[in-house]
Amino acid sequence: MAKWGMVIDLDKCVGCQACVVSCKEENNVPHGSPEEQRSRREIYWHKMIAATKGKYPYVRTELIPMPCMHCEHPPCVTVCPAKATFQRDDGIVVQYYRRCIGCKYCMVACPYGARSFNYKAQEPKAYQRQDEPPDRNSWAPWPFPVRTQGVVEKCTFCFHRIDQGLKEGKKIGTEVVPACVEACPSHARTFGDLDDPQSPVAQLLASRASFRLREELATRPKVIYLSR
Amino acid sequence: MGAKRDMDDHLSGADEKGGRCSRLSRRKFLKLTAMAGLSVGAIGIHKQSDSAPSVQPGDASTAKGRWISTSCLNCPARCGITVKVAGEKAIQIKGNRSSLISEGEICPRGHIGLQVLYDPERILSPLKRSQPEKGKGIAPQWKPISWDQAIEEIVGKLRTLRDTFQPHHLLLLSGLNSRSNEDLLSRFAEAFGTPNLVSGDGLDREAEKTGNWMADGHFDACAYDLDQTNYLLSFGADLLESTPPVARWLRKWGRLRREKPTRTKVVDVQPRYSLTASKSDEWIPIKPGTDAALAMAMAHVIIREELFDHSFVKEWTVGFDQYRQIALQHYAPETVSKITGIPAETIRRIAGEFGRTRPALAIPGKGAIAWPGGSYTSYAIHCLNALVGSIDVPGGILYQESPGYRAVPNVAYDEIARKGFEQPSLDLHGTEGFPAAQVVTNQVPRSLLEGKPYPIKMAIGFNSNFNMTAPATGQWEEALKKIPFYVHVAPFISEMAEFADLVLPSTTFFEEWGYDHSSPGAGSAEVRIKQPVVQPIGDSKSIGDILFHLAERVPGGVTKAFKDVGGSAEGFVRFRTSSLLPWEEFLKKGVWKGPAYEYGKYPRIFHTPSKKFEFVSGNLRALQIKKGRSVKEEIPSSPHYSDLKWLGEEGQYPLVLFPYQPLLTFGNGSQNYPWAQEIFLPLQGVGWVSPAEINSETARSLNLRDRDEVWIESPFGKIRTRVKVSEGVHPGIVCIPCGQGHTSYGKWQKGIGCNPNEVIGIDFDVLSGQSAFFNTRVKIYKA
Repeated sequence: MAKWGMVIDLDKCVGCQACVVSCKEENNVPHGSPEEQRSRREIYWHKMIAATKGKYPYVRTELIPMPCMHCEHPPCVTVCPAKATFQRDDGIVVQYYRRCIGCKYCMVACPYGARSFNYKAQEPKAYQRQDEPPDRNSWAPWPFPVRTQGVVEKCTFCFHRIDQGLKEGKKIGTEVVPACVEACPSHARTFGDLDDPQSPVAQLLASRASFRLREELATRPKVIYLSR
Repeated sequence: MGAKRDMDDHLSGADEKGGRCSRLSRRKFLKLTAMAGLSVGAIGIHKQSDSAPSVQPGDASTAKGRWISTSCLNCPARCGITVKVAGEKAIQIKGNRSSLISEGEICPRGHIGLQVLYDPERILSPLKRSQPEKGKGIAPQWKPISWDQAIEEIVGKLRTLRDTFQPHHLLLLSGLNSRSNEDLLSRFAEAFGTPNLVSGDGLDREAEKTGNWMADGHFDACAYDLDQTNYLLSFGADLLESTPPVARWLRKWGRLRREKPTRTKVVDVQPRYSLTASKSDEWIPIKPGTDAALAMAMAHVIIREELFDHSFVKEWTVGFDQYRQIALQHYAPETVSKITGIPAETIRRIAGEFGRTRPALAIPGKGAIAWPGGSYTSYAIHCLNALVGSIDVPGGILYQESPGYRAVPNVAYDEIARKGFEQPSLDLHGTEGFPAAQVVTNQVPRSLLEGKPYPIKMAIGFNSNFNMTAPATGQWEEALKKIPFYVHVAPFISEMAEFADLVLPSTTFFEEWGYDHSSPGAGSAEVRIKQPVVQPIGDSKSIGDILFHLAERVPGGVTKAFKDVGGSAEGFVRFRTSSLLPWEEFLKKGVWKGPAYEYGKYPRIFHTPSKKFEFVSGNLRALQIKKGRSVKEEIPSSPHYSDLKWLGEEGQYPLVLFPYQPLLTFGNGSQNYPWAQEIFLPLQGVGWVSPAEINSETARSLNLRDRDEVWIESPFGKIRTRVKVSEGVHPGIVCIPCGQGHTSYGKWQKGIGCNPNEVIGIDFDVLSGQSAFFNTRVKIYKA
């Protein structure tokens, strides 16, 4: 069974946020508003954070793109009282929207702020995709067209692309990748099977210094960063 | 019963049966659309919905969609894109892999195009002003009218101008338009007989182009080879945010850093710790406006240490001895250190690195050249590239090839047009005030206010928004009031449209025919198609078709000029690209690529008197001689630094205003796009605002804290925003991002942020007509 992971090269990343926007475009993630940003209620499946240190003129800002980490030991799964979030065999952590009771315990537990809550119903937009689930098995975590008010949502590693790709016999990581990986103009992102030593992700990790976010919490994130 | 409930549930947005959802039942939807139809007359602008309640299940699934090749126009890069259309809606945008310039990649603005297309507040029909008074904040009270009515009124006035032999009283304004629309516009202006077609170029990088022209005769921004460049030195160029073509820089950055054997070193020299600086190897803060001094100091070091490319300099340049003298005599690092604030050691080190690493590129940015004297700054920077042999070589500067479009028949001037062209142009380009300029955008409001050289009777603006994007927006507002009849053509009500008598709704680039090419690009020529991916929204029409429509109805030279060039926007595109590739192939692929770039064309690439690269500008000398005694003052013809002249006294206005263009607003006319707004400033981690960033020490000395509400006041006005205390700002400046502070329309942009252009004064680089953006001084105090 594959273990899907993502490698993000911070040296190649240009901080353009194409990943942030293309994720919203791919997954019908709603946009926010000034009020929602002030009250931290904007929904992002993928965000970018800035960490600045130093004093003029010796300043450094690190821009870090952050999807869901799809941790190997996901705290969100542990705490969910309704078993609405769980980890697939291939390591992708998914959300069952119908089981979610909106308690937001998972949001508290996630050390990465990867999860967002639907405080209001999402407005339908002309540019949204309307895909139907391919079969009954994918029904429960199927995110399209939109999620309902009262549930938590987050990055899915675009499992809809992966599952469809596998069905069509395509190579995941080269022919099929999540939307953010595809959209990155500087080619800073790679996706693939961490357990396959031939995969580009494994090769990158073998050749460069890398780190994960908040490693001390032992969540074992599967989004790994290559240092600058 | 079950089937009907399913239908209602789906239309009401339920993703699964029984889930809570938005409440729009089918019955309600039908009611609402009927009511919406009734409300058109009352409100004046029919707000279109950007929702899709009527899409049947499965129709808009991506599996059933098709990809259409076209090109973006959110900024001047005009990148090739493909758009997925499903259920008659555009639902996804990707880059076009056939395009060489960015290797098929696009920036986030490309994706945000979906919100541009489906902007709920687009204009859907022609509008007529019913409030006679014009001014900022005065509601025009638009009344929708038919296209026939609108065209009739416009044509009537155009005909009157021609009948009275006053075609020059027509002013045409052009903002960001496709190349095909630009070509049609200039054809219209030519045939009509008006010398007054003014683009926004005068606000952009004319000084950069003039500096290049002084050296090698190319009045253009340089193209860069990039794949093999080993050293990048940015002089105030925000490479990853606003240096066109942006998507090219984004792709090539990845290549330069980690996809070649040696990692390219990048150094960013500018007063602000930009996003580019954060990704570069070094950020070197510099006193604003002193880039020419730094460039000359680098020349000093490179020459003194004999690091320059001896063979190129000897064989293919002239004037080196004079240049060398100037650099060695006047620009020692110790001297320049006092001017720029950069330690002499750093200047020596960077110059040494630049001189020893081949190929190296020095890149001018707006922050360096949009100053009085900016042409010489651009010249000085361009000379650095020549010094190290980076001209027309792999990894160096390229001369952008133009596409060989099929030639249109020459415009035959009728006697009315000839009369018009005898008149001087409103922007005074090429006159003694602006001798080398091709367009002086910001002279226009002055000319309009003074009524000189003659008053304007009618103006038409195509996607122009100069009272938002030009310095001294207030002057533009006063000037626009003086135009008796102004027609605005755009998809939305911009700040400029608010002064219009008539508004024509034009299509966005998603709904029209066109051809586009970026300059600069990748060196080799490339043309990208624009074709409709969806039907025009509302009653909008493409600018190309509007021009053909007008031309048919203005008899004489104009009608003649628009015969035999394709008959319509689509026909024109087909005509012009017929020399490049078969139409069917162009429709499918979306891109035509010219022959591979040829390097080292030295015998024929320099358009100068000596046919070589000139460190002393023969082109400029020739221009001076041509203008003869009409040139105002002795104009130096070598690169140099001159002392800065400020607008505002240093004592009263202690800080320098430093506006900048983030990626998400660079080159746009509207910011009514929530996807762009919410992530606006990634370095500061905020959206929906435009803060004034000041250095922490400066803040302390002014007793200002983070998030304090402040006024930023110049001699010309004041704006209000919040402070952001930052370590990444030179102590003598205050940085404000551009693109916010909209006042005309937009739920997602109106009243958000502030517009620094409101307080910037009018000043120019005299040679090029470039508007200066950075020499206005301000004071900042608590509101």
